[in-house]
Amino acid sequence: PAVARENNCLNAAKACNLNDVCKKHRTAYITPCTSRVSSAEVCNKRKCHKALRQFFDKVPPKHSYGMLFCSCPLRDQTACSERRRQTIVPACSYEEKQQPNCLELQASCKTNYICRSRLADFFVNCQPEPRSLSGCLKENYADCLLAYSGLIGTVMTPNYLRSPKISVSPYCDCSNSGNNKDECDKFTEFFTENTCLRNAIQAFGNGTDVGVWQPMSPV
Amino acid sequence: EAIWVQSRGCLLKEVHLNVTDLGLGYQTEEELLFRYCSGTCIEAETNYDKILNNLTHNKKLDKDTPSRTCCRPIEFDDPLSFLDKENKMYHILTKHSASKCGCI
Repeated sequence: PAVARENNCLNAAKACNLNDVCKKHRTAYITPCTSRVSSAEVCNKRKCHKALRQFFDKVPPKHSYGMLFCSCPLRDQTACSERRRQTIVPACSYEEKQQPNCLELQASCKTNYICRSRLADFFVNCQPEPRSLSGCLKENYADCLLAYSGLIGTVMTPNYLRSPKISVSPYCDCSNSGNNKDECDKFTEFFTENTCLRNAIQAFGNGTDVGVWQPMSPV
Repeated sequence: EAIWVQSRGCLLKEVHLNVTDLGLGYQTEEELLFRYCSGTCIEAETNYDKILNNLTHNKKLDKDTPSRTCCRPIEFDDPLSFLDKENKMYHILTKHSASKCGCI
């Protein structure tokens, strides 16, 4: 008989709805992120982003990270990882009609103080370091995950790409970079090819980074 | 002014269900805690209810049988959201589950 396949992302969603705080804040962002406001706009993106920021501010990481950083088997490109990709309601919070250039997006982020400080946090706390065992310069996965989740609800909102390995990116690319192509590629690779971030996400998903998480959420 | 009376018999109860158990036609694998009001409201009955009881027994109301004090939700739980089975669409259920009960 086939063994029932565990879908960690589904289990995290179930756990969220059984917890009154998580359930409330989940609905609080799904509502604006899925309500059409006009024939031209699928949603009010500003309200969706604000409610997403509140979700990650107010809900304990056990539940919020449980859904955002749930682990999916490598082969599973449907049920589990698609649910993980849908966590932030990408049709509203992530996708745009046109994909902007990443350096342009970075410039627009820097004009907003929340986005500017959160992007700076992300670059500090998820800095890769190939010589360290953790893959991170600052060997603290929790700080890296906090900085990454802090970007959700800004113009730099990142999401999982449809890729067999864990790879994330804000909604932008490096076409039309001109002379700044190298700089742009470096920027996107900090998201898509970041060993520190990838290890941090994997450690949370597998529950292997016990030392950091135990004091916060004794199960 | 409150129109309901609290009664020791009428209590909030909770059951852990699949969203599909609700029978509302949603296709999803998600779950919820469904809370409902159950119990008797005899203690909370007023003269109005006693009169209705007497009048129906004495057949003074033709064929009418007006409803008596009921154990019902007086407040509802927060809305519930869930993703469908195909991971494509979110649904939001409102006023689906009780959070406070009263005899009304």
